[in-house]
Amino acid sequence: MTQDTPRELFEKGFINEEQFGKIEAITSGKIVSVFYELKSLLYLGVMLFTGGAGILIYKNIGELGHLISIIALSILTIICFWYVMAHAKAYSHKSVKPSTPYYDYITLLGCLLFVSVQGYLQFQYGFLTDNLGYITLLTTGLFFFVAYRFDHLGILSLAITALASFWSITVSPQKWYSGDFFSGSHLYKTAIIFGSVLSVIAIGLDKKAIKKHFTFTYLNFCMLIFFVGAIVGLFSGGWWGIYVLIIYAGCAFAYYMARWEKSFLFLLYAFVAGYLATTFLLAKTALAESIELWSLYSIASCGGFIYFIIKYRNHFKQND
Amino acid sequence: MTSAYNPINIYNLTVLKAAKNWCKHGFIEKDQLGAIRQTYAVPLYHPNSLIRILLFVATLFALSGATGFFTLIVADSGRIFISLACIVYGLASFYAVEKFFIAKNHYKSGVTEAIIYHSCGFVIGGLGGISDFNTHILLWSCLVIFSFAAFRYLDLVCTVCAIGSLAGILFFEFYSLDGIFKQIIPFVFMLGFAPVYFISKKLSQRVDLKLWRNNLLILEVVSLLLIYVGGNYLVVRELSVELMGLAIEEGADIPFAFIFYTTTVLFPVIYLFFGIKNKDIILLRVSLILIAFSAFTFKYYFSLGHPEITLTAAGIILIVTAISVMHYLKKMRNGFTRENLLTERWGNMNAEAFLISQTMGGNQTSLNKSDLPGGGQFGGGGSTNDF
Repeated sequence: MTQDTPRELFEKGFINEEQFGKIEAITSGKIVSVFYELKSLLYLGVMLFTGGAGILIYKNIGELGHLISIIALSILTIICFWYVMAHAKAYSHKSVKPSTPYYDYITLLGCLLFVSVQGYLQFQYGFLTDNLGYITLLTTGLFFFVAYRFDHLGILSLAITALASFWSITVSPQKWYSGDFFSGSHLYKTAIIFGSVLSVIAIGLDKKAIKKHFTFTYLNFCMLIFFVGAIVGLFSGGWWGIYVLIIYAGCAFAYYMARWEKSFLFLLYAFVAGYLATTFLLAKTALAESIELWSLYSIASCGGFIYFIIKYRNHFKQND
Repeated sequence: MTSAYNPINIYNLTVLKAAKNWCKHGFIEKDQLGAIRQTYAVPLYHPNSLIRILLFVATLFALSGATGFFTLIVADSGRIFISLACIVYGLASFYAVEKFFIAKNHYKSGVTEAIIYHSCGFVIGGLGGISDFNTHILLWSCLVIFSFAAFRYLDLVCTVCAIGSLAGILFFEFYSLDGIFKQIIPFVFMLGFAPVYFISKKLSQRVDLKLWRNNLLILEVVSLLLIYVGGNYLVVRELSVELMGLAIEEGADIPFAFIFYTTTVLFPVIYLFFGIKNKDIILLRVSLILIAFSAFTFKYYFSLGHPEITLTAAGIILIVTAISVMHYLKKMRNGFTRENLLTERWGNMNAEAFLISQTMGGNQTSLNKSDLPGGGQFGGGGSTNDF
């Protein structure tokens, strides 16, 4: 057969026009099929890969256990995130309902796995010792993005925690209980600044009506950090007067937030911090000497507060 | 001198083969095929591959009987006489195959090939015997006889042997000239076979040479390979060490090493590029094989150790490449399609399945417990692993 054969057959009437067109395109080389080349490549690739992987695993199974776990976890993380992206609803400033019942959990799983893989890497290989700051910042950025994009409150908390830990502030009540308030000295100043700045940002976002349902969480964390920082500052040495003032300012802010967000919790913060500050102030000034005044003070202050709450309970409807 | 076959018969046979293929893939209807069959009927006897192999082997046996008889006649004669007798015997066989088989419309039936190779062997052997197996004479006689057989009988194996003897002649002549000529053998190969490639490509387009289409195709492929081989670093280095006694110290390299590194890398890439550009399937295929060989060449000298990592990485690269090209060619682009258009001779689902089962299936033996230093057994894909 030559190049002219199809034409010859067509002219002699053995094949019709349409068939001639198709056949001619192939035989003249206008259309080239690389089917077998691709199949051979694929086959060869599979053979080489399975052979190589088999030998690798055989030789290194001992050390490989951790590596395999890390890789498996990473793959799982990637799958979670891929799933979340694939089923994501469009972004909106308002609250977004999740697209499937378990959507939120998968998002959470993905983020937690991300943290786990980091921890594993650090523990096993000490990868991140020098770059702990950067990796925390990266995690923070990722979590904020996920929280806003996929509208997940839990991850917002994780994000704020990560941000705080970037500044070396531990936001865990357990640590505070064990007495380890801040891992370094002078961190209370950082805490105060951090708390104030973040609450300003939160109120700003709220005013712009960007995810208003996040504001409560923001304020919650900010106040905690602020107050704990201020209280530690109070006890840390000189200039306690300043800290008393700072705490009072914080209390005022918390009171207003309690009214605004209609949350009793903020009021509780305000009360505890304010009480601590006042007691400290009084202890340093007026009540330095006598014990009796102390008892009087306790009864009066708490009684007054309880009365105040009950009388004006309508003002403080809990925000459910 | 022309082919021993009737060109019209051969042409009609190819048309029939093509038509059968088209019908198999649904390009034409059965009745159309029937009509073509009628008009392009050929009286040629051209059995399928399996029968050809059987006939080939059977003929070789028969020939050995005849040769035995011949040996009886010429035994105990002088060397010259035996050689001359061999030549006559060979030529007589050529004549016999033409008169008794090709005239009876045998075309590549297995029988003809056996006799042709037998004849070639005897003539070359005879000529060699006369010259006391002088390499020079041997090579030249190989070239002449094989070219003759290739041309006259359209034989593909003889084509390969002919071009092989040409390569041998080039190599040997320059080698025996010694000195600078030994050094430039690679360049001789590269520059010598380039015109062979281009000429055979040109000739295969000519309609009057359509009988020798396949031979010219073989010429193209082999010349491409020889051009590459002339420039391949591994070949040049190993041959230099073996044949020319070149001593290479640690860290030193062969002369002109840089050029050979370049050609080893460059040639397959050039082939691939032009293969895709001109949609030349021969260039494409050869380039793929040569890319693999070039990779092997570099790995041979610059291995980073851990061949298993190389294997795995190579496997991944190939898989990713294949899948991405397949994805890219989901629609036809520039005339390239990933569809299976017209099956080729060796592209058979059964063959593929067999191949896969042999290399990747559960036929591999698991290592014995006693063979392993550490714990655990490991078997090939398909068999069990326990640790």
